[in-house]
Amino acid sequence: MKEKILTLPNPFGGDLELYKNTWGKSGEPLSIVSGLQGDHLNGMFLNSHLTQFLDSIVEGLDPHYTLTGQVQTFPVVNANAVQSGSRLWPLDGMNMDLAFPGNPDGETAEAIASTIWQHTKDSFWGIILQSAPPHYEDAPHIQTYKPDGRVKKMYRDLQIETVRRQKESSTQKVNLFHQWQDISSVILSAGSPRTINLQQCETLFQSILNFMKAEGILKDHRNKKSEHKTKTRIYQSDEEIAVRTTTAGMFLKEVKVGNYLKQGQKIGEVRDIYSGKRLEEITAPEDGLLITLRQYPIVYEKEPMAIILTAKKSWREYLSF
Amino acid sequence: MPVQTQCILSVKSPLGPPIEILKHIFPAQSNKPRVSFVTGLHGDELEGLYICHRLMQYLKELETTHPNAIQGEINIYPAVNPQALENSTRLWPFFSVDINRTFGPGQSPSLAVETSQALLDDLQSSSDIAIDFHSSNLHLMELPQIRIIKDFEKKLLPLAKKTNVDLIWVHPNADIFESTLGFNLNRAKIPTLVIETGICHRIHQDMGDQIFNGMLNLLHYTGTLNITPPSEKIKEPKQVQPDQVAMVQASHSGLFIKQVEVGQILKKGDKLGKLIDPVTGNVLEEITTSCSGLLFTLREHPLTHKGSPLVRIAKNLSEQ
Repeated sequence: MKEKILTLPNPFGGDLELYKNTWGKSGEPLSIVSGLQGDHLNGMFLNSHLTQFLDSIVEGLDPHYTLTGQVQTFPVVNANAVQSGSRLWPLDGMNMDLAFPGNPDGETAEAIASTIWQHTKDSFWGIILQSAPPHYEDAPHIQTYKPDGRVKKMYRDLQIETVRRQKESSTQKVNLFHQWQDISSVILSAGSPRTINLQQCETLFQSILNFMKAEGILKDHRNKKSEHKTKTRIYQSDEEIAVRTTTAGMFLKEVKVGNYLKQGQKIGEVRDIYSGKRLEEITAPEDGLLITLRQYPIVYEKEPMAIILTAKKSWREYLSF
Repeated sequence: MPVQTQCILSVKSPLGPPIEILKHIFPAQSNKPRVSFVTGLHGDELEGLYICHRLMQYLKELETTHPNAIQGEINIYPAVNPQALENSTRLWPFFSVDINRTFGPGQSPSLAVETSQALLDDLQSSSDIAIDFHSSNLHLMELPQIRIIKDFEKKLLPLAKKTNVDLIWVHPNADIFESTLGFNLNRAKIPTLVIETGICHRIHQDMGDQIFNGMLNLLHYTGTLNITPPSEKIKEPKQVQPDQVAMVQASHSGLFIKQVEVGQILKKGDKLGKLIDPVTGNVLEEITTSCSGLLFTLREHPLTHKGSPLVRIAKNLSEQ
């Protein structure tokens, strides 16, 4: 069911409207939020794909599944930014994910943040869908801060190989994710802003399906047990290496996100824009998983071109199942 | 020793000329407190650039006329977000990042974070007191003021009173401040005043001159400058706590037509302006004040959404 949860009048007409979709009435709700940034399109696409899928189940068009739990999705949060084709709403230039928990009587961003928070705070599980920061691409992975047992179970149920444990930051207290600290929640990140990567979306779609089945939100009548066992690896923040430029120019990449790199392997090179000469070769300083890669080719000195997750810790960090 | 210029961070750019953050150092004759002035974190806020220009002009002349006057080192960082300043945008345009939300621990690696860290490190190593100049955003005009987080009140209030601002607003901490330069310097025990004045994209010379005089008075007070204090009378700022500030917000979306100016003393019931519907021509709301006091924030950008702040008033104490 599509439901309008906020209407804010615009000075020139055409109200700003915020929507949520809800399926199922019983059970503890799962909330899935996308579009906190106006250019994070992978998440918005994934949410629309989920809507189509869940609609077909509740309408009885998909004989394989029954919805046994409750799901609510919030496909677009920063609606003004989406409408203006940008990451932020140009009128306030505010990062929407620095506006939480918001204020129902405040300015637009605060009112939106408050609405999302009020509609999600009683959820049992929460998933935020996002893309990499501007100019970068992420391989599909989970982000988290301090996982407890319930969150670790989410990793297992989602069956995503890579979990990045993030450092606590000076901005996190005003993020939606931080407000969800009493909810079992994760961030799923994949792809690049301003683009839709169907393959990455499909990976995350299957993960969310795995999760819903494992948690009893969705019943699969085929009773097929997954043959594939995913090993999830949790990387601590000190296991991340940012590979930076020492020159500036045009970066040409030679690898893909999700690749395992060997120490010394070429990631790409920086060329001088005017002469075309190679200024430097960017190589992997250690073996590891390429989780984030520079997409936008124009680069400054000291910018990270890649983030590699290394494997310093012992095998006990693996969660096998 | 004459003023020296140091580059605290240089970053090669794709097209050649590097991005540089400069610091002008006015060396000291003794070891009185070192004071640093920072401006341009937001590239569309120009009021602080004018104040720093006046300070540099004054200090250069002082070096010639009164070579022993500078008793504590004075550092001026006149344009700390060069690309945003060149584009006149609040955010660093290449990254769409507000650099004043990138200070403090745990930030993801990026050039913006590298830059803010370099600035923070440099300020920490060369300052006993810091002043960070800001204008307001695109929408609001602010009377010269200092906002102080309650936790830092004890150290900052005596300094703030010397700065010739109209208002000092002491308020509780909010999580959003934790990623700002001012908060992180204060947390590192370097008393830092964040001065807010005017509006972005403009220079209000009268306000700039007022704060310039305040800065000379502050430098005299700290012993950093051995000069005769400014002859102009220094204002005694009105001090307010959160419950002494009244904010009027728009209850409709439309265009705000103001009928007052910042700095005005208002009486209860005074007209503040009206909200009009630009499409139908209707007047949506006549806005009046429900309290008396000093008008210190005023909406200048007429485009207004429901919930937008229109004015802030420092209430008269008699009405508490």
